[in-house]
Amino acid sequence: MNHSLVIDTSTNRTLVGIVSEGTLLFEAHHDDALGHGEALPKLVQQALANTVQIDSVIVGMGPGPFTGLRVGISFAQSFAFARGIPWVGVCGLDAIASQISDSEFFVAVDARRKEVFFARYKTGERIAEPGVCQPSQLAKVEIPTYGEATGEFPSALGLAKIAERGAHYLAPIYVRRPDAYPPPAGVKFRPMLQLDLVPAFALEKSVYKSDAWTMAQFKEEFAAKERTYLVAEFGGSVIGYSGAVNLAGTCDVLTLTVAQEHRQKGIGREMLRRLIDWARTQKCEAIMLEVRVANEEAMPLYESFGFIEISRRSDYYGPGKTAIVMRKELQ
Amino acid sequence: MINSHAVVLGIETSCDETAVGIVRGRNLLANVISSSVDEHARFGGVVPEIASRAHLEAMPGVIAQALLDAKLNISDIDAFAVTAGPGLIGALLVGTSSASGLALALGKPLYGVNHLSAHIAVDTLESDQKLQPTIALLVSGGHSSILQVNDLTNDVITLGRTIDDAAGEAFDKIARILELSFPGGPAIDLAARSGNPTAIDFPRGLSLNKDLVEHKYDFSFSGLKTAVSRYLQATPKFVRADVAASFQEAVVDVLLTKAIAAAVETGIDRLVIAGGVAANSRLRELAESRAAKSGIQLRIPPMGLCTDNGAMVAALGALAVQAGISPSGLGFGANSSSGIERPIF
Repeated sequence: MNHSLVIDTSTNRTLVGIVSEGTLLFEAHHDDALGHGEALPKLVQQALANTVQIDSVIVGMGPGPFTGLRVGISFAQSFAFARGIPWVGVCGLDAIASQISDSEFFVAVDARRKEVFFARYKTGERIAEPGVCQPSQLAKVEIPTYGEATGEFPSALGLAKIAERGAHYLAPIYVRRPDAYPPPAGVKFRPMLQLDLVPAFALEKSVYKSDAWTMAQFKEEFAAKERTYLVAEFGGSVIGYSGAVNLAGTCDVLTLTVAQEHRQKGIGREMLRRLIDWARTQKCEAIMLEVRVANEEAMPLYESFGFIEISRRSDYYGPGKTAIVMRKELQ
Repeated sequence: MINSHAVVLGIETSCDETAVGIVRGRNLLANVISSSVDEHARFGGVVPEIASRAHLEAMPGVIAQALLDAKLNISDIDAFAVTAGPGLIGALLVGTSSASGLALALGKPLYGVNHLSAHIAVDTLESDQKLQPTIALLVSGGHSSILQVNDLTNDVITLGRTIDDAAGEAFDKIARILELSFPGGPAIDLAARSGNPTAIDFPRGLSLNKDLVEHKYDFSFSGLKTAVSRYLQATPKFVRADVAASFQEAVVDVLLTKAIAAAVETGIDRLVIAGGVAANSRLRELAESRAAKSGIQLRIPPMGLCTDNGAMVAALGALAVQAGISPSGLGFGANSSSGIERPIF
């Protein structure tokens, strides 16, 4: 008989179970969003009172609120090490999904900050890596959502079933980066100066071609009130710039531009972070931006900051060039 | 196990060091530290989420390395100890969860210990001298306290503490203003070596007679920080080494003046200096001469045991075992702001 100790702390619930060959021998849980550290050892002690022999550990790797999530993983890896037995990590959302029989649905768990970690399932399979969004975004899609909000939590049998399928994770499924994501090495961020206008305009032309602002527009925008502009500098050259305006309490991102060869390095992320900080100091209630349809490269960045699509404007960038308007609440 | 020779494994994760130490009684067997300090350097301070992620990644390897260094198997460990506070809550929880996983798996006792007490307890390692009672000056990035230690495991009294920044924090902040590296302690220590410590007369916080009424053994470093900033603004051609040396002198002077006064006035003629700032070379040098002058027996742990480490946690755990204190039991949790009045959870 092969006994698995099953642990999950990826939701507000601390779950401990013992499963043997698909049979549940023990299961107990404790619901407290901040109590994983205290609850887990007690629940495991209860579990071990009945079954001393454990052959493997199965642990939920998230996604879930980080502090609680790490309690389960840290405990599981040390327990397994001390016993000299293997441990496997599985996706907690998959465990919830294994309990649902709909043909297509979302599974979502609380991610704090009014967001949820989610994944989409079709005919029993997850169709992409888990993501994070606001619950209203899932509600727009005409398929049901299961999870904490509907009283569905990972179960010991569900986690064991996923472990058996071999869908293993070696590291926590964080989805979100730490808030203080390191700015790219060697890149300096500073306010834009008059003398940056020429190199910034050259970059504008090379990136946007015929859709670029004119130098006159550039100068006018730069000189206007209620605005902030900053540049990213690398090796003495301007490799990116961005700007935003405070329009009566709502911040609008005017431009966020990074040279082609310096993309995917976190430069846009750092500039956007600084614009959001600026909007906060301006006491703006929200920050908005427009993104061109099919600009897939930029969408995950905005979504990761909690921007959500609120409308579309056709012909915004010229005939047939639609803009998606995205908004992030700041209060 | 013979209580005075218990093998204790200690885990420390209260800030940015993932550390595991193993002791047998007072003998140090292993002390392994993995630091995420480089990842925090660009922020000029420790980022809690980055530290917590690093702890989880580093923990299995650090435990395995410590056992390898000690030439022991995990089953040879008699008891486990872990820092339960104070510290960053998310970081502490990685350590307490790991420790309870080990202890429960093996059915061994577990002690949740106070980080500050552990900093002092490290002085009992490799030493036959009588430690208690003693006055302790505990100075680190998060703490600056003068303690009266009657018994490390159950009787520690706080005589004074900082009312604003910790000494180590002041070093970090001044290093940032001087465009020196993070962490600031070693950077300022180095810069100060070529400077004149009496070049600028920076203020000694809470040292005026009127302050001494209520804050005899308390510290304040915010005024000093402001004084340094003002000096730099007013002096465009400042000499960095002189500023570093004069700032360091102001910190070290006030720390030692108050700590020695505590030792003299309580009649406890022993002083232990512990915590990360105890690695400061000027503090060590000046402490030696002032303690000698006042007839106080001074002890400062070796440099490597001053900053956060697992050996200190194991050392305090070993003292608890020896004193016959019952283990902390399960579910003691982590407490980000626990006071030193509770050395063992």
